[in-house]
Parts: sequence; C-alpha cells; structure tokens
Amino acid sequence: MQLQNKTMWEHFQDRGLSRRTFLKSCLALTAVLGLSPSEFPRVAEAAETKKLPVVIWLHGHECTGCDEAFIRSTSPYTSDVILNMISLESSHLLSSAFGEAFNAHLEKTMEDYDSQYLLAIEGAVPLDDDGTSCMTGGHTFKHELEKVSAGAAAVIEYGSCATWGGIQAAAPNPTGSVTTSDVVKGKPVIKVPGCPPIPEVMTGVIMHYALFGELPPVDQVGRPLQFYGNRIHDTCYKRPFFDSGKFVEKFDDEGAKKGWCLYKVGCRGPVAYNSCGNMRWWEGLSYPIQAGHGCIGCSEKDFWDNDQFYDRLPSIPTPNAVIDADTVGLVGTAAVVGAIGVHAAITTFVNKHEQSKKDKEQKAHEAHIQDKQTVSKNDLGE
Amino acid sequence: MKRVVVDPVTRIEGHLRVEITVDESNGKISDALSTGTAWRGIEVVSKNRDPRDVWAFIGRICGVCTSTHSLASLRAVEDALQITIPKNANFIRNIMDGSQTVHDHTVHFYHLHALDWVSPIEALSADPEKTAKLQVETLKKYNVTGLSRRNQTLDSESFSKEFPPATPQYFAAIQAKIQKIVDSGQTGIFSANYWDHENYKILSPEAHLMAVSHYLNVLDRQSEIVIPQVVFGGKNPHPHYIVGGMPCSISMNDMNAPINTMRLAAVDKSINLSQNIINYYYLPDILTIGKAFIDAGITDGGGLSKVRVMGYGEAPDETYSGTSNGDYNKQCLVRSNGVVEDFAKGVENAKFYNLEGEDFMNPEIIQEAVDHAWYKYPEGSSELHPSDGVTEAAYDAGTEWVNLDETKKYSWIKSPTWYGKPVEVGPLAKYMIVYTKVKQGHITEPTWAEQLIVEQIETVSSLLGLKPEEWMPSTVGRTACRALDAQLGSSLERYFYDALVNNINAGDTSVANTEKWDPTTWPEECKGVGIHEAPRGALGHWVNITKGEVSNYQAVVPTTWNAMPRLANGEQGAYELCMIDTHIAAPDKPLEVVRGLHSFDPCLACATHLYKKDGSKITSREV
Repeated sequence: MQLQNKTMWEHFQDRGLSRRTFLKSCLALTAVLGLSPSEFPRVAEAAETKKLPVVIWLHGHECTGCDEAFIRSTSPYTSDVILNMISLESSHLLSSAFGEAFNAHLEKTMEDYDSQYLLAIEGAVPLDDDGTSCMTGGHTFKHELEKVSAGAAAVIEYGSCATWGGIQAAAPNPTGSVTTSDVVKGKPVIKVPGCPPIPEVMTGVIMHYALFGELPPVDQVGRPLQFYGNRIHDTCYKRPFFDSGKFVEKFDDEGAKKGWCLYKVGCRGPVAYNSCGNMRWWEGLSYPIQAGHGCIGCSEKDFWDNDQFYDRLPSIPTPNAVIDADTVGLVGTAAVVGAIGVHAAITTFVNKHEQSKKDKEQKAHEAHIQDKQTVSKNDLGE
Repeated sequence: MKRVVVDPVTRIEGHLRVEITVDESNGKISDALSTGTAWRGIEVVSKNRDPRDVWAFIGRICGVCTSTHSLASLRAVEDALQITIPKNANFIRNIMDGSQTVHDHTVHFYHLHALDWVSPIEALSADPEKTAKLQVETLKKYNVTGLSRRNQTLDSESFSKEFPPATPQYFAAIQAKIQKIVDSGQTGIFSANYWDHENYKILSPEAHLMAVSHYLNVLDRQSEIVIPQVVFGGKNPHPHYIVGGMPCSISMNDMNAPINTMRLAAVDKSINLSQNIINYYYLPDILTIGKAFIDAGITDGGGLSKVRVMGYGEAPDETYSGTSNGDYNKQCLVRSNGVVEDFAKGVENAKFYNLEGEDFMNPEIIQEAVDHAWYKYPEGSSELHPSDGVTEAAYDAGTEWVNLDETKKYSWIKSPTWYGKPVEVGPLAKYMIVYTKVKQGHITEPTWAEQLIVEQIETVSSLLGLKPEEWMPSTVGRTACRALDAQLGSSLERYFYDALVNNINAGDTSVANTEKWDPTTWPEECKGVGIHEAPRGALGHWVNITKGEVSNYQAVVPTTWNAMPRLANGEQGAYELCMIDTHIAAPDKPLEVVRGLHSFDPCLACATHLYKKDGSKITSREV
C-alpha cells in the first residue's frame, strides 16, 4: 500500500503546471490557512519539501528486546533508517524528549501527520482490570493505543508480543494481554513476529517502503512474504542431516559436535515460519540451530504454550507408515517414498501439530476464563 | 512549591513515572516519588513449566539486559538440581555475560543517556577543524587503554582497527546532516527536548559535535559487540542456553560444529572491537563530559550511594558446585558480594558487611515490603523473604492519573530491603564495595579483576583531581563507574576467551553436563537460588521445583532495589534519594532529574512485580 503522497510541487510538475502557477497556489493556500502573507515563503517551502515517512513507535507490555533488535540492524544501518528513511518522531527508547514535552510532541505529530503516519507497536495490550497493569503518561496503554492508532495510515506489529500477545499472554495470561489487532480495527496491519524478529527483518520492512514506496507484500495473516514465506526446516543448513537420518540424540554428543539435526532434542523448525535459516542473524553469522539449540518457534502464534521445548515434535503419520525421527531417514532415502514422501509427511505432521496447538489454546482459554470466574467470585467476597 | 510529573521517562526500558516537589525559589527538590507503572506476570506464566525451559521464559523479563535473567535462572535451577556445569560452559557463559555488560553499558551511555549531557543543536555551532583537534587531544589525555586486559593465548589484533575518525571532513559531514535534519523540520528522535537548558552550555560546541558523532558511529557498530552471544547462543537479544551448560558443542573437525576455529575467530574479533570501542570512544567521552560537569560544580545525585550500597559478586573463575552452599562466591573473580555503608565519608571510614552463600536463603536478610506498593500482605506481616513472599493485589489508583499520592500506595514495584534498609545497587555499588574490601583488607589477595577495579578508580581519581569519595557518589560517578565496568566486562571476556582456548587445547571440549537432563533423576522437591552481578547490579532468582515442575519462581532484580517506593518509616530508595539530592535550574524543564535517573540505567520491565488476581497466596514469584 502507498502511504506517502508526493509533495505539492511534484503534483504540479506531474501535471505540467508551471512554477508560477505553483507559487500562486501556495499564496492562495496561505490565505486559506488563515496565515499572514509573511508566512508565504514557509508555506511554499513546505509544499515543495518532500517529507520522510513519519513513524510513531508505542510500547505496551514488552521487554524492549524488539527495540534492541531494531537498533542492531546493519543492512541497512540503523542510523540510515532513522535519519534518512523515516522520521522516528516518537519512541520511548530513542526519543530525546521525555515527560510533558514528549507527550506534547506526540500530540503535535499526530495532528501534523494525521492519516499519514506509520504506527509501530511493540508489546501486547493488557485488558484485565481496565488495562491498569500498563500505564503510560497517566493513562492506560489501551487508551494510548486507541488514541494514536486512530490517525495512523498503517500499523506495524513489531515482535511476537504485538503480533500474538507474546510471553505475558502465555497461560494463564495473568494480565489478559491481547494483540494490537484485537484492539485496533480497520487499519492495514503488517505483522512482524519473532522474539525478537531478526534485526534486518524489522528494518527490511521499512527499507522496502523506502525503495518501493509501499509496504511489502504479505501472506494471509499479514506477515511480509519475503521474510516469513518459508519454514525454518525448509531452509535449514541441517536439513540434509534430517533427510539422511543423522540426529543429535542428546546435547553435546558426537552428533552435536558434527552439527547434526536437532529434531530429536526438540526443534520447532518444521513449524516455524521465519528467516533464521536463509537470512540468519548478523547477516548470515548464525541462528539458534547453528549454535546447537533447537528452534523454539518464537515467531509462531502461542509458541510459549506449545510443547516443552525439548520434546520432539509429534511423530509423522503417512499413508503407509508412521514416521518419526528414528525412521525418517530410512523413509527419506527409500526409493519408493523419496523426498516427496518426506515433504508430504512433514506437512501432515505440521497440520497435526497445529491441531494440537489449537487444542491447547482452547484449554488455555478455558483455564483463563475459569480463572476470571474465580476472580469475580472472590471480588464478591464469596 | 511546585509538583512536576515526568511520565513517561523515556530512553529507558519499560514504563517509569516520577513526580517531584520543587521549591521554585532555590531549585531544591524537597520530595520525589518514583513508580513502576506496569507489570506483566511472567513468573505466574513460568509456573508449572519444565525447569529446563524456564531460562527462556524468565529471560523475556527483559530484552535490554537480555541473557542476564536467563543466566540467573540457570544458576538457580542448577543450584536446586545440584548440577555442576563443565568448565567450558562456565567460560562461555562468562564470555557471553561480558559481551552483554559491554553492550548494555555502551548502548546505555550513547543512546539512552548521552542526550542528557550533549545536544545536537549545540553541535551545529562547532568548528569541524577544532573538533578534529579536540578528538586527538581527548585520545591523548584520556588514554586508559593500558588498563584493558590483553590476550594471553594469541595476540590476535595486529593494531587497533577502531579509532574514532578525527578529520574535519568527518565532523563536517555529520554536522551537515544534523543541519539538514533541523532545517527539514522533521527532527525525529531529536525532537522536543529542552535543548535550551543551561546545562547544554557546559560543554564546548566541539565536544557536543564529537559526542553526537560517536552517538551515530556507535549506533552502527554496537551490534558487533554482542557477536559472542550470537555465536554461542545463536541470536541476540534472547540467546539460547541449556540447563547443565551450553548447547554449542565444540569440534575442530567440522565446519558444521556449533563452535570451531572459525567461530572462535568471530568471537575474538568482537572482543577486540569491544575493547577498542570502550578505550577509544566510550571512556574518553565519559571522562571529557564528566570532567566538564564536575568542573562546573555538578556533583549532585549521589543519594543513597553515599549511605548504603550492595553487590552479589560475579565472574566465577572456575565452575562451582552451587550458589546456596557458597561455592559460587568463592569462585568469583569480582567479589563484590556484600554491603558498604558510608562510602561518602571516605573509604577508610566506610563500613563493610559480608553477604554470601547461605545468606541468600536467610529469611532475615533480604526481605520485601509492600507498604507503598499496590499489594497487601496478610495481617501481622510487614516484610517477607522472597521465598515466602505473598503477592496480593491492592491497586486503587484508577485508570487516569493526575498525581499519585506518596502517603498511599503508588507503585507496581515492591520495596526490597537488606536487614530492613534500602540499598543502592549497580556498577557504582560494585566498584565501591570492591574498592572498600581491597583497601580495608577484607580481600587480602585481590584477583586481577579486583586489582583492575582499584587501578581504574585511582586512574579516574587522578584524572579528575578528586578523591574517590568525592566523585563516585554522584550522577557523574554512577555514569563513569558504568563505563569502567564496561572496560572490566571486556577484560573478563578476553580472560575467559583465553581460558576457553587453553582448555580446548588441553583436550576438553565438553560444554554440557547431561547427567541430570532426565527429570526422573531429580528429587521430588528441591529449591535453589541463582545470583548474578548483572549490568544494573545485584540480581537474585529463587526457584522451587516440585515433581519435575517449577512450583515457585521469584526474582528480585536491580531496578527493584533502586526504583522501590518508600518504606513505612519513610526511608526512600535510590531513585527517590537521587532526585532529592539533585538541584534543578527550572522546574518545568527537569533535565537534571532525568539525567540522574538515567545514571541508574532504569529497567522497569525487570522491576515490576506480579500479583494474582484472586488474591490467593501464590508461590511468591515476582519480577
């Protein structure tokens, strides 16, 4: 989607109108705005200066790890992002202003760039107890989010907390935390999950906008396809070991030293959509699997409440056999089944896993509701 | 009297609000209130989880001091399960912690704190040629590189690869960029600060331009400081660990191995970079700014650090059999465990109290009060030890605040105490404690790291021309000690990197003790404590494990100690006393107050506690 309009002067140029006509229009505009004629040069200057896209970054229930990831970007450099690609007008982490002046500047930015600014959200929105578990500027974060999102052109949910609710929304979700999209309705939303997302994924969304003038194409849930189009399992450098049945049996065994597949000691790479396998962290330096630890699926919805991290994913049913890590190598190399069989198997077990996730979500949800009922009873003194 | 609210306090982690009462006639702050305005309940979430998973949950307390909570959590679980990690795992965790310390402090200074001292607007009137000269002079005058620990195995860096540029062209380019930003009207992150505040006149325009240039320069380089975390833990923030050691197996026979020669080279290069950034950017900048402010008579903000500070100890030289049995403290290279009172009266007059091992499990020593926090305790209890803690909500402040009332409850943060008294924690506390212990003879044979701390303090004292008790307990001193701690952190990285290489060379590649990986090997019930002298100070985690699951988790973190609301008897914590000890020029532009708060590097997501909504006694887990 296109966020930023051209300058007024560019519009005039597009239509082949003269500089003289442009300046006359600026003069008329000065009068329309109720400004004194002495303000005319300022109006003309504003009309021909191309503005950087304005970003307002809000913080709810979060750990600031996403900010930290954002500033670790090296392609593009963070300095180039915040000085040349966007104007980061409001951020709890980086803004020099604080207190009253910070709040006043936020208000002014919302006014000056009404319907034009990009709103970046880091963190979940707590709803229980009227949202009082997250107060900012003397108001609840929910209030703040509703107010600031009203004039936003689009919303970026940065990180798994904004995207899925994150750690505080894990069972039993003590603060009743929800995602940004549960509160903000009717705005284009782009989801950038991860705990945190890879730095260059965070800045990449902005870089894309700077290069092409629109937000990147997204999948059906709103994640940028470029960064979340593949499962880590499908891009993992250890994938050949999975296919050939070479697994780490326990941490620091011979297989671990050889860098074999971590499936058996717990890896969610087969169910996690992210760029850790192909892009990696620090421009190709590493990712958790390369450091010898299974993927915990931190970009996936409710990953905290799925299986324990060191449990292997469920076994893989196929039309003719049950495949798990002990047999997948055999099946994978068998002429009859071949690679297609393995991929089909993975897809099946992904579906199964997602079903099991849904069951768990349902359970967690029920537990949460039960918890709430207990609370209200107690509140009534019963 | 004027009541001034600062909410949000920006350039911190999490949500912090302060309110001050100022006498407008003399700029004196007569009272101050500090409040954590959010809580997330991560400890409740951690309940009933597999103790082997909990480092990941608890690590998400904070993404700025990332890895510190995971480390304390692992130590607590390993203490409970009586797991001794392999030598290499201890070395690797220490390297990761060193890189976190360096990174955290460096980013804190430049990106969260510098704009309290320096202004891009002032930089506009600098002469780029003079700035280049100033850079050269600064590197000469504040050359403290000799204090950094050098490689013992392989002196890998042929010459320093990282000097701050000192050409007029470089400074002119940055100045032109700032000018362009100002002219565009889109001032972004530099918008709306009180740039006309008189304190921005203390430094020369050239010093402003030099520091602002380093702000931008370091912003683009800081990611490389945490490369050890990316190599050993796979990513950052939130690197990966395992209970029992590290997942990153070592083999020199395979490029697929998590750790091999090439991976060690990446770590080594990052440590060199870290040392250079500290020695050529961070420390000279701090000393330039600190000296100018001290010369301008700004030595306030000491507050509680003058009276009482506390530390836990860090950097176990060798692996240890547990925390609660005291072995952890015995192995520490930095024995900052203990409490020091009255450092401001001079190191010879300061009082030292030890703190180690069993003390962390003693219900008389560390307690928490809730008189001014939005919690209530059962009838008859006023202070409780963390492992007996009760957290029952008593929120009563509504959904809109104008002013909070300091005579009532006013924060989501509890008030932790040492023998019923507030203490300040952090690098300043750590430096006061080690210095006192060495000077008073409580440490008879200082380790190289402790010796380094003493040398650092004496070097700075001589550069500033002041005694330690004169410059340390102040906002400037707190910020300077954090920079010294970064130099110590990078030296520890260097030391443990050498230790790792030597140990691999001796044939030991083990990184994980998996003897107790299987939950059937665990006792039915056990408990443990993990302590850590984190970048922001004393951090303690307590865990109870029952039938293979976490039954109780609790953390008392540095910012809780510092940001606590007052006690029933009115005694205040470090943030409030720092503010009261600060003079402000104009009540409607409370820059000095925010500068003082930033000197603690506030981390509010860490500090805020949980409650359980049904009001039942929960398992005392709070963060």
